[in-house]
Amino acid sequence: MNLMANMRRESTLMLRDRAVIAWAGVIFLLAVYAVWVGMAEVKQQRESITWLLQQDTLERDAALTHQSDYGGVAYYSFHLTYDEPSNLAFAAMGLRDETAWKHRVRMLALEGQIYERDAGNPVFALIGRLDFAFLMAVVWPLALIMLLHDLKSSERVAGRYNLLVATAAQQSALWVSRALLRAGLLLVVAVLPFVTGALLSGASLLAIVLVLAMVIIYAVFWLLVCYWLASWQQPSPTILAANLGVWLLLAVVIPLAGRITIDQLVPLPSGSEILMTQREAVNDAWDLPKQDTFDAFVATHPQWQEQAKVGQGFQWDWYYAFQQVGDQKTQALSDAYRDGRLHRHALAGLVAWVAPPALLERSMQRIAQTDLKSVITYESKIREFHAQLRQFYYPLLFGDGAFDADNLQQRPNFSLTHSNDS
Amino acid sequence: MNLGLVSSVDLVFEMMDVGNMKLQADELRVARGGKEILHGLSFHVSAGEVYALLGGNGAGKSTTLLSFLGFIEPTSGAVNVNGQSVTSNLTQARSAIAYLAEAAKLYEHLDARENLTYFLQLADKQVDSNAIEAALDRVALRGDARGQRLKGYSKGMRQKVAIALAILRDTDILLLDEPTSGLDPTAIDEFHHLVRALADAGKAILMVTHDVYGACHVADKIGLLKSGNLVGEFTAEAGQSIDTELVHRAFAQKDAP
Amino acid sequence: MSPVLLIAKDEWRYWLRSNLAVYSALLFLLLLVVTSVITVSEIHSKAQHLEHDQNQAEEAFVDQPARHPHRMVHYGHYVFRTPLPLSLFDPGLDAVTGKAIFLEGHRQNSATFSDSAASAELGGLAWLTPAVVYQLFAPLLIILLGHGAIARERESATLMPMLAQGLGGRTLLLGKSLALLAAICVLLIPMVIAMGIAVANGALFSASISLLAIYFIYLCIWGVLTLWASSLMQSRATGLASLVSAWLLFSLVMPAALINWVAKQHPMPGKIETDMAMLEEARKLGDGHNANDPAFAQLRAQLLEQYDVENVEDLPVNVRGIVAQYGEEKLTKTLNEYAQQQAAGEARQAQLLQNMSWLSPTVALGLASRAMAGTDLHHYQLFLKAAEQLRFDFVQGLNKLHAEEVTYNDDVNKYGSAEQQARARVDASNWRLLDEFEFHPQGTSARWGQSTVTLAVLVVWLLGLTSAMFFQAGRLQR
Repeated sequence: MNLMANMRRESTLMLRDRAVIAWAGVIFLLAVYAVWVGMAEVKQQRESITWLLQQDTLERDAALTHQSDYGGVAYYSFHLTYDEPSNLAFAAMGLRDETAWKHRVRMLALEGQIYERDAGNPVFALIGRLDFAFLMAVVWPLALIMLLHDLKSSERVAGRYNLLVATAAQQSALWVSRALLRAGLLLVVAVLPFVTGALLSGASLLAIVLVLAMVIIYAVFWLLVCYWLASWQQPSPTILAANLGVWLLLAVVIPLAGRITIDQLVPLPSGSEILMTQREAVNDAWDLPKQDTFDAFVATHPQWQEQAKVGQGFQWDWYYAFQQVGDQKTQALSDAYRDGRLHRHALAGLVAWVAPPALLERSMQRIAQTDLKSVITYESKIREFHAQLRQFYYPLLFGDGAFDADNLQQRPNFSLTHSNDS
Repeated sequence: MNLGLVSSVDLVFEMMDVGNMKLQADELRVARGGKEILHGLSFHVSAGEVYALLGGNGAGKSTTLLSFLGFIEPTSGAVNVNGQSVTSNLTQARSAIAYLAEAAKLYEHLDARENLTYFLQLADKQVDSNAIEAALDRVALRGDARGQRLKGYSKGMRQKVAIALAILRDTDILLLDEPTSGLDPTAIDEFHHLVRALADAGKAILMVTHDVYGACHVADKIGLLKSGNLVGEFTAEAGQSIDTELVHRAFAQKDAP
Repeated sequence: MSPVLLIAKDEWRYWLRSNLAVYSALLFLLLLVVTSVITVSEIHSKAQHLEHDQNQAEEAFVDQPARHPHRMVHYGHYVFRTPLPLSLFDPGLDAVTGKAIFLEGHRQNSATFSDSAASAELGGLAWLTPAVVYQLFAPLLIILLGHGAIARERESATLMPMLAQGLGGRTLLLGKSLALLAAICVLLIPMVIAMGIAVANGALFSASISLLAIYFIYLCIWGVLTLWASSLMQSRATGLASLVSAWLLFSLVMPAALINWVAKQHPMPGKIETDMAMLEEARKLGDGHNANDPAFAQLRAQLLEQYDVENVEDLPVNVRGIVAQYGEEKLTKTLNEYAQQQAAGEARQAQLLQNMSWLSPTVALGLASRAMAGTDLHHYQLFLKAAEQLRFDFVQGLNKLHAEEVTYNDDVNKYGSAEQQARARVDASNWRLLDEFEFHPQGTSARWGQSTVTLAVLVVWLLGLTSAMFFQAGRLQR
């Protein structure tokens, strides 16, 4: 007898099992809810960005009307940068509640601006959202445990076990098909809303397939764990407790221990260190001889050697030079902060291999581009953009040309695109 | 009236037709949890024969039965089904056996027909609905009950469904574990008739019971099991049933210090 | 011995002899001890660092050399958010909110550098704290202990003989409740120790006791739910499965699902959106840097009239300093308005979450616990407000110096020769005007006030389930 016949027979039996139907229904509703709310959130973030972009242009134009020199324009012109949610962000919101995905920067020292945190309500970040990634990584295994822990023990208690095994033409096919069907049903009801949402969101087929593959591998992992424990000749409550113990270990204990160890292992420069260094550097410059600032500036920007000349009174070129120098002085700390976070992220990636729920969530956040790497990519995009701004303004500031608003037409604009979106 | 108490099991082997031997235990020793439960049990059941294994609680009756199904592996000796070792031919052995568990438990949320269909499919047995109805007729399950869930069944009705399953499996061998416990006298009588008829149709039936009267009434052969030892075997001449008194006395004799 | 005590004693004996109960209790204890040690040491070292940073920031400001006062307005100041003593039990929002705020003129900056954004990312459950262990995992232990209370008697067929002996169903359940109540008290011992440490570190005694009481009520809710299910279900297995399902839905799914709902119902513009709207308004007020801005013409005219002089040069005060003071005040008013709007938006979300917490005692407990520990949204907003007050005070203090200690002429020529530059400075001793940053957390009664709804939720759940349990107990005899 082939597996298909087993499946057909068991599926009719399973569909009359109220616990299975109830859990499938619960997971389906939760998945629909998670996907629906996730999509609404993404839509909202996109609308917010669109609105901000309009306001940003208006605001810059308005700032321009008061100005009569390039220095003033640069001082009063903020530029919106943003990290648009990818088409899969609805499924794994990741760090988007904790870190800023929109920033307005201007040509002042960037280190003083880039760590501003325009994130939403901190309660959201604390409790976390019910997104598809959380549903699959944390909730789904528990639902599977509820359905599979008494796969055999319930038949034992009901006194049917021996009859079933003695009657079955293939014993293993009986249990395997029962476990597979339950896990399969639970997986299908969870994944269907996701696929629908992903298609509606215009995510790339590759990304969808990738997520599906990960989810399926993850489901198989838990299926094996549950199947293995279900064969244990113990009463259902003991098996359930053991299952919960495994879940607790993988979803809570290892991640907790991993996070603590990694945070201890990889120290980061404290935020206050970066901020204070930056501030001291920028503010001290006011009291230093202007030539000192220009010297430090020219060391990295030799092309302005001729133009960087100390004059009388306040000079915009000197002002922006010391902003630049301030950033340069903080660079080492700032790099250490970025590298430290990436190092922590990489180590957490290793730990995640022994904590599958964390692995799944992290992988989905990677694909949805809502993980730390994406945050840092966004940060470096801001840095790039800020550098472009400087490149644009320096010729105007150090040049001798009279102020001409038309020159500002060429001002760079921020743009960021996601690779995974179709 | 010719009833013999066979003292040596070896003697029996010499007398029987090996080709008809459906179930056979040979010097079967079984241990569970570090304790030996069966101490070298030997007996056999042939086609067309009802063998009743009789004994008190903890005598090892169910263990013997489960050994034939391969649930318990012997520590030494052999259990054979159709002349083949159960241990090495588990699947064939099980497919040759229909097993009626104690206090027959089937799916409570299915009706009689659904239960039968499910278990027959599980056994990979193609049976049409007419055959199912015929089997239910044969065990005399009320027509109006057949579409009702087992939840509302009495013990006797459940037993009937389980027997119907055993009939429908159409195997050469039937293993019955305490089949009559908890049934009312009429049901027991009906059941015995059915078992007799099945044996007469050529099936080998091994029945485990502590009901001396029932065993004597229906069995061709009775094995007396005490603390894991076969302490005696009785055979009935054709057309005669075993004398209950005698078994009782034999039991008592062996019990006496 | 009374039958109630006898039953309770028997239940304890059963637990002590059951591997399941003993091992799960040990696992829970281990989890609790580990997270407590980690949280206490983390909070301790964090508090030390932040206090050190705060002192350093204050020293750095005061130690600045003689300068033009407006330079100090932009030099600015930092305040750091040091954890409150009770955060060693429930750090609440501490991990996800910024630790440092830069205070400067003309701007309200946000708090930067949160721990969670820089930490190794291993999922939300990696942020286990003693409070979360009690919120999420203590109920699980109670379920594992209590699910068999009645069901196992039924399964082993000892229930009917017990009842047949004349033992009342309510007496039976009272005994089991007593046993579970004792277990809950034992479970709370580590928390009592944590509260002791917190009080020794300066936590409010009344707030600590209240926190303990809230957790006691919460665990009792789970205890009663467990006993009710146990007397309702036919077998231990179905009882346990139903209870674990309830736990999964109430404790794991519901909090996150409610966050989704709140975010969807009350979407809130981010700080940038608010800033954008505000900038438009601020522009209308004029730029505090530029004393010639038309918006200040009226102010200038008023000053000239007040001191009866022709030119701003002749004023006894520095018009630039006056303008800066005026501009800062106006701007701050607008900034505060928008900050309040932002805070009100967040508070509205918090309010909705509170109202939704009728659906899950875990959500209610989380909110009440953070409120009582002083680590909730409200305290975070209080911190922001206190920081803003400090900012406004020192900026205006500096602007006052600007108006009174720097003459208009010196001010105009501040970028001139070295001598001119020196004349536009004020003495370094003036920087002592900076106040020490002090954050005053709410008192206990105010914290109770914050938690009215959530406490009501917990009490109503407890009463409702208790009545259900005793109703069911009465039916056991039939």
